[in-house]
Amino acid sequence: MQYNRRRAKKRAILWLGIIALIGGAVFGMIKLAGRTPASQTALLASAVSASDWIRGNRDSKVVLVEYSDFQCPACKIFYSLLKDIQGKYGDKLELVYRNFPLSYHADAMLAAQAAGAAGKQGKFWEMHDMLFENQDIWAGQSNADAMKTFTSYALALDLNIDQFKNDLNSTEIKVKIEDDSQGGIESGIDATPTFFLNGEKLPPPTSYGDFENTIVQAINANP
Amino acid sequence: MEISKTPSSKLSTPIHRGLIWAFIIISFLGFLDATFLTAEHYFGPLLGCPIFGGCDKVLISPYSAVGGIPVALFGAVYYLVVFILGVAYFDTGRSRVLRFAASLTPLGLIASLWFLYLQIFVIEALCFYCLVSALISTLLFILTLLLRRKIAVPASSLLE
Repeated sequence: MQYNRRRAKKRAILWLGIIALIGGAVFGMIKLAGRTPASQTALLASAVSASDWIRGNRDSKVVLVEYSDFQCPACKIFYSLLKDIQGKYGDKLELVYRNFPLSYHADAMLAAQAAGAAGKQGKFWEMHDMLFENQDIWAGQSNADAMKTFTSYALALDLNIDQFKNDLNSTEIKVKIEDDSQGGIESGIDATPTFFLNGEKLPPPTSYGDFENTIVQAINANP
Repeated sequence: MEISKTPSSKLSTPIHRGLIWAFIIISFLGFLDATFLTAEHYFGPLLGCPIFGGCDKVLISPYSAVGGIPVALFGAVYYLVVFILGVAYFDTGRSRVLRFAASLTPLGLIASLWFLYLQIFVIEALCFYCLVSALISTLLFILTLLLRRKIAVPASSLLE
């Protein structure tokens, strides 16, 4: 009898412990997933300069710097969002694109070089848009095939192909990309895309609306 | 009631006890993993591409949710059920509890193999947490196979 009571008590403790463990695990995982990265208050290490790729209003008091990777799927999603924001607030905002090609995206560096080479002929943003629009097509290709794809984009943009190919492999373009990346590392970025609004790193947005609101607030605060 | 006094034979051997503990701990780890992915889906920031590899492509792919419900949530429920069955078997030693768990773990294994196929051949990207889940599903399947070989022996409580 006493044995049964002792056992019933042990069972109750066991199952109460299990319920507490499950509850604690769910709570802990939600806290962990919703955490805000510690580096969110980091500042932009290198100031915007004439060597940057800029669109929008260059005299705007609201400057959004994006560190991005042409092969990053999340960057493609933000590309569409930025396009929408630019359509709405284009004249009140200066957008800066900086390269941060991730090593595990095999064609990201080549894509950055292609955009840079197009930029030498004044069509950086056209190539930028084309690369993101068609990311699904070239992202899985070998370097050689991706090169052919990028060349076809250059043709579609009426670029001088010989010059495009030369520029794409030039040290100048590669150094510019490496400088961008280095600036990103110094600014403490740990993922792409990472945004800096007026020099201050934005925490990862929890929704599109949240991202747009942050930018609208900055625009309203800097008329 | 006398069942709890039955001297445990194979059930209380260190190996068998170890297998059940392993089953409970591993299924709980699976629950943590899947719950984290589910919480990321609902409460996490929009996923970017982390500097060192990443789940971005997998977790924003259309295969990551069915009817708006993240597949990770199905995984969390699966691991929770399996974990509770593991604890129930630990508690009662009833072989039918284990048989029920053993009927579920092949489903977990098949689901994991399907997700692994999607990651490698369709999405062409691997997600760390998804690979952990695949490993856990495989281990749980193997553990139930090993445990089922023991359940012909009359069960008794492992609490004693």
